[in-house]
Amino acid sequence: MPSDPAPVRAAVVVLAAGEGRRTGSHTNKVLLPLAGRRVFTWSIRWARLLPEVVRTVLVIRDQDRDVIEATLAREVGPPKVDVVEGGNSRHGSEWAALQLLAPAIEAGEVDVVVIHDAARPLAGSDLWASVIEAAAELGGALPADDHGHLATLDGSELAPDRIVAVQTPQAFAAAPLLEAYRHADTEDFVGTDTASCIERYTDVPVHCVPGDAGNIKITFPDDLFIAERLLAKARWDLSGGREGGRRR
Amino acid sequence: MSTEIAELHCETCQRVTDHELHYTGRLLESTRCTECGAHLDVPARDMLPTYLADLEQRVASKPLRLWRRAGQDPRGFLRTLPGAVLRQPRKLAGELRSIFRH
Repeated sequence: MPSDPAPVRAAVVVLAAGEGRRTGSHTNKVLLPLAGRRVFTWSIRWARLLPEVVRTVLVIRDQDRDVIEATLAREVGPPKVDVVEGGNSRHGSEWAALQLLAPAIEAGEVDVVVIHDAARPLAGSDLWASVIEAAAELGGALPADDHGHLATLDGSELAPDRIVAVQTPQAFAAAPLLEAYRHADTEDFVGTDTASCIERYTDVPVHCVPGDAGNIKITFPDDLFIAERLLAKARWDLSGGREGGRRR
Repeated sequence: MSTEIAELHCETCQRVTDHELHYTGRLLESTRCTECGAHLDVPARDMLPTYLADLEQRVASKPLRLWRRAGQDPRGFLRTLPGAVLRQPRKLAGELRSIFRH
């Protein structure tokens, strides 16, 4: 009788370091209040409801460390979140997290690494589950939201029928991902996103899974109002039934 | 009402600028770009029902949140509880005042 496949073990990397422009005492947007929590802890909460998630790494800017650690103590329960200082770019931040995870990846304790932008607080548990499952099976997975209805501004030419907006969380087989970033470090290559590095240094296929129109990125002030309303509409529960409707 | 200043993309300035954000309770009430003054707020007629729905959720989830806090740091919880309880009526009154002034 065939035995059940081994359960997938995933490490979640949440990028909260921002883009490096910030100075002085201004609040990093991922630290802003959103419906009773800080923006960045919402997505950590939904991810960690999954049994597959065995590690969580939060990439921060050093100047945010005190606030981040106080927020983690208040809003995120055990197990501990590993906090690491990010680089000067998204690529650098991902590399910092992967270096921290390298011993676990090499020991075979982590099968999949999921990279997520902390400014997307509405990535629910179902979306996390779908990218982890697809990456475990196929090698790489990212959520894409179809924008095929878009038209050109001057109306002269129809837009291609497959315009997609790529979102996070994006998941990749851990060992090839680490190898790709090691190659990139050797060659000083700085990718625009995780998939660009994977595609350059590995032959791991990256597949799309259906994105979620509600998985917005906090960019404009309006996004905070929208996120607040979307959370209220979902009764502050994006667990996909995993949390029994309870609010932590 | 509490205020935060954060960098967000301003559609008028077409770049990332500092924004002032004003909150009532847990809800965002208004935002203002500190460079061009572009202002967004929740219409007054929407604020009260939204606030009341949020307040209901806050009250319903309070016991669990208190339980968790007590479990994490029992001594600190007991030390700060009386002050926190005494502050609630004033805090609530301030939130309601802010909404009706809005």
